[in-house]
Amino acid sequence: MDEPAIRTSGLTKHYGATRALVNLDLEVGRGEVVGCLGANGAGKTTLIRLLLGLLIPTGGRAEIFGLDSQRQTVEAHRRLAYVAGEANLWPNLTGEETLHLLGRVQGRVDEPYRAELIERFELDPTKKVRALSKGNRQKLALVAALMVRPELLILDEPTSGLDPLMEQAFRHCVGEARERGQSVLLSSHILSEVEVLCDRIGILRDGVLVEIGTMAQMRHLSALIVQVTFDDRVPDLSGVAGVSMVEVEGRTLTCQVKGPVEPLLQVLAGAGVHELLSREPSLEELFLSHYGPGSPREASGDAH
Amino acid sequence: MTLTDAPADARRARATSSTAVYRTTGRRAIVSGAGWGLIFGVYVAAQALGYATSYKTAASRRLLASEFGSNPGISALVGPAHHINTVAGFTTWKCLAVLAVTGAVWGILLGTKLLRGEEDAGRWELLLTGPTTRRGAAVQAVGALASGFATLLVVTSVLVVLIGRSPKVEFGAGAAGYFALASVSGALMFLAVGALASQLASTRRQAAGYAAALLGACYAVRMVADSGLGLGWLLWLTPLGWVEQLRPFTRPDPVALVPIVLFSLAAALASVWLAGRRDVGASLLRDRSSAKARLVLLSGPVGLALRQMRSTLLAWAGGITAYGLVLGSIAKTGGKIFTSSPTLRLFFSRLGVTGAQAYLGFALLIMAMALGFVAVGQVAAARTEESTGRLENLLVRPLGRVPWLHERSVIAVSVLVVGGLLAGLSTWLGAAIEHAGVGFTSMIDAGLNVVPPALVLLGVGILVFGLWPRVAVKVTYAVLLWSLFVELIGGAVSLNHWVLDTSTLHQMAPAPSEPVDWTSAGAMVAIAVAATLVGYHRFARRDLAGE
Repeated sequence: MDEPAIRTSGLTKHYGATRALVNLDLEVGRGEVVGCLGANGAGKTTLIRLLLGLLIPTGGRAEIFGLDSQRQTVEAHRRLAYVAGEANLWPNLTGEETLHLLGRVQGRVDEPYRAELIERFELDPTKKVRALSKGNRQKLALVAALMVRPELLILDEPTSGLDPLMEQAFRHCVGEARERGQSVLLSSHILSEVEVLCDRIGILRDGVLVEIGTMAQMRHLSALIVQVTFDDRVPDLSGVAGVSMVEVEGRTLTCQVKGPVEPLLQVLAGAGVHELLSREPSLEELFLSHYGPGSPREASGDAH
Repeated sequence: MTLTDAPADARRARATSSTAVYRTTGRRAIVSGAGWGLIFGVYVAAQALGYATSYKTAASRRLLASEFGSNPGISALVGPAHHINTVAGFTTWKCLAVLAVTGAVWGILLGTKLLRGEEDAGRWELLLTGPTTRRGAAVQAVGALASGFATLLVVTSVLVVLIGRSPKVEFGAGAAGYFALASVSGALMFLAVGALASQLASTRRQAAGYAAALLGACYAVRMVADSGLGLGWLLWLTPLGWVEQLRPFTRPDPVALVPIVLFSLAAALASVWLAGRRDVGASLLRDRSSAKARLVLLSGPVGLALRQMRSTLLAWAGGITAYGLVLGSIAKTGGKIFTSSPTLRLFFSRLGVTGAQAYLGFALLIMAMALGFVAVGQVAAARTEESTGRLENLLVRPLGRVPWLHERSVIAVSVLVVGGLLAGLSTWLGAAIEHAGVGFTSMIDAGLNVVPPALVLLGVGILVFGLWPRVAVKVTYAVLLWSLFVELIGGAVSLNHWVLDTSTLHQMAPAPSEPVDWTSAGAMVAIAVAATLVGYHRFARRDLAGE
C-alpha cells in the first residue's frame, strides 16, 4: 500500500509553558499540494521543523512516506527537499559552489533541470552569497531544492523576498511538480498563491489545525457573504440566527450568514430591500473568519 | 504629566534615541571590563603575595634573581626580569607581559564584537535608522569601548592599590596605579585595533583574524627583541614592547605612554573616520563579490568545514611553527637557567635531561595553551553553523546529526594532532639548527604530549554542545581560561591539589624535561572520548537551537 507523503498523528510540541502545536493530525497524499495558513506564531514553522526532524516532538509522531521522521530521518530526507523562509547559506561560497555542495549532500541532481532553473530564476551563480540580495538568496535556495526533483517538497514561506515575476516563476515550478506527481506542503502568507496552487488548505491557529479541506469544502462549511442595500432604514440584525460580522455603511449592510438563510430572509422580507447580493467567501475572508473580529480567537480574547 | 513637561520629555526622548548605540554597547563593555579587572587584580595579588610568602629571605630572593635575572630564553617568553629580588620587581616580571597579551586578546574580542559583531547581526542597521549617522554610531561604539577600558583600569587599579597596602607587599599608591595602567595598556591599544579591524573586514571573524595576526606579529617582534640577540631597539617598534618599556615599579619610563596613547587614538579615530566612508555591512578591504567556482573540497560536510576554516587553520599552523622555531633556537641559552645551580644540574642530569630539554618542557606549556584556543575555536565553529541556521541546509538532506558532529570532531582532533606534531617538529628544527642537543623522537613525543589537554577541552565543548548549545562556547572558554588561570597562579601560590587537578593543563607532564606520562595522557583521551559520546547522544535528541 502506498503510504501518504506526510502523515502526523497527535503531533504535539511544547516550549516550556507555550503550546506551539497541539495534537495535530494531518495527511498529505501523494501528488497532492496542501497549503498551510496561519498567523505568525500559529505553529506552521514548528510543524515543518517537526516533519524534518529538526525539533523533537513532545508527543505524537510524524511520518514521511511511512518513515518515522525522528528515527528514520536520513531515509526520509532522501525523498524530500525543503526551502526555509530565510535562506541562511554560507556567505563566502558562490551560488554555483552552494548548489554543487547541496547537490552532493543530497546525492542526486537533475543537471539539465538545474541549468533550466538557474535561467528561469535569472540567477547569477558566480556571485558570492554575501553579495546576493535577500530575494536572490531565496532564489538560490529554491533552485537547490527543486533541482533534486524530490518526491516531496516542503516549502516554508518560499517566496519571501521574491519579486512578482519570480513569484510567477515559482508558481510555474510548483505547477510542474504537481504534474509530475510530486507532493507539496506549502506554508505561506500569500493567500492568492495558496488559493491558486493548493488542492487542500489547512488553517492553523494557536497550534491547532482548526480547518482543512478543499476551497469548495471550506466555502460550503463556512458563512455566506450577504450584502443588502435598503430603500430606507437599515434594520437591526443583531438577534437573527446565524448572522454575524454585521457592518453598516449608509444604507448598505454586509454580514456573514452561517447555516440556514431563512431567519435572515424573514427579517428582510418586510424591510424594504433595494438590492441583495450574496457570494461565497474568498480565502482571505475564510482566513480572517478564524482570526479577524468576531472570530473564535477574538471572542476568547486571544487576539493581540 | 503636565503640558509643560512635554518639550522636556521630547528632548529627553531625542537624546535617548540618539545615544542608542552607546547604551546598547556601553553596558556590555563596562560589565566585561569590570569582570576582567577583577581577574587582573586577583592575578596580581596571587603573584605578589605568592612571592612574598615563598621567598621570605633576602638570600632566597638573591638566588632567584641570579637564576632567572639574566636569562634571555626566559626574557623571550615573559619579558626581562629586573629587580626580581623585590616583590615589586617580581610582580612586574610575572604580570606585565601576561596581562598585556591577555588584555590585548580581550580588547580584540570586545572591540570586534561590539562593532563588527553588531553589524553582522543586523542590529547596527536598525540603530542607524534612528537619529544618528554611521560616523556618530561609530563614535558611540568607540565611546563604549572607552568606558569598558576605563572600568578595567579603575577596577585593576583599586585592587592593585589594595594589594599594595599589605605589609608583605608594600606598593606605594602612585606606583601601584602606574603599574595598573601599564598592565591594561595592551587592552587599550587592541580595543582600538579591534575597532579599526571592524572597518576593514567584512565579518567579525575576519576582523578578529586581522587583529590577532597583528598581535601575533607584535608578540614575535617582542620575543626577538628580548632574546638577547642585540636587537633590543626592536622594542620601540611593537606595542607590546612599549608596554615593557613602561617598566612599572622598577625603572618607570612614562615616555613610553606617548606611543601607546598616540597609537590607540590614531586607531580609534581612523575607525570612526572610516566608518563614515563606507556602506553599512561593507568592508574597506576589497572583497570580491564574484569568483570562479572552486569545487574541489565541496563534496560534503568535511570538505565544507575545511574550506570554511582554511585561513584560520593556516594562520594557526604558521603561528605554531614560527613560535616553535623561535623556542627551539633559544632553547640552548634558555636551558642554562636549569643548569646554573649545582642542585638543579644534578637533578636534571640524573633524569638524563639537558638544560635545553628542561627549558622546552617549561616553554611548551604555551603550545598547550595555544592548542586549547584551537580546540575552543573548533567548538565555536560547529556552534556557529547551528546558530546561524546554516547547519539546517545539511541536516534537511540525507545526513544524520551524529555523523555530521562526528565528522566535525574528527576534523578537530586531526587539527589538534597536526598542531601538536607541528609544535614538536618546528621546535626540534629550531633546536637542531642551534645544536641544542634535543632528540627528534623526544620532541615529537613532547609535541603530541600537548594534545590531550586540548582534546579534553574539545570533549567538554562537544558535551555542552549536545546538552546546552547556547552556552557551549562560553563554557568551553571558561574551562580553558580557568585552566590558564590555575596554571599561571599555581606557580606563585600553593594551591590545593584538588584545585590544581581541575586544570586540563596540570595533568600534562612537562615533556621533554620529563618523559611523557602516557597513563595520564590516556586518561585524558578517555575522558575526552566519553564526553564526546555523551555529547553525540544528547545532540541527536534535542531541538536544533538558533542564537
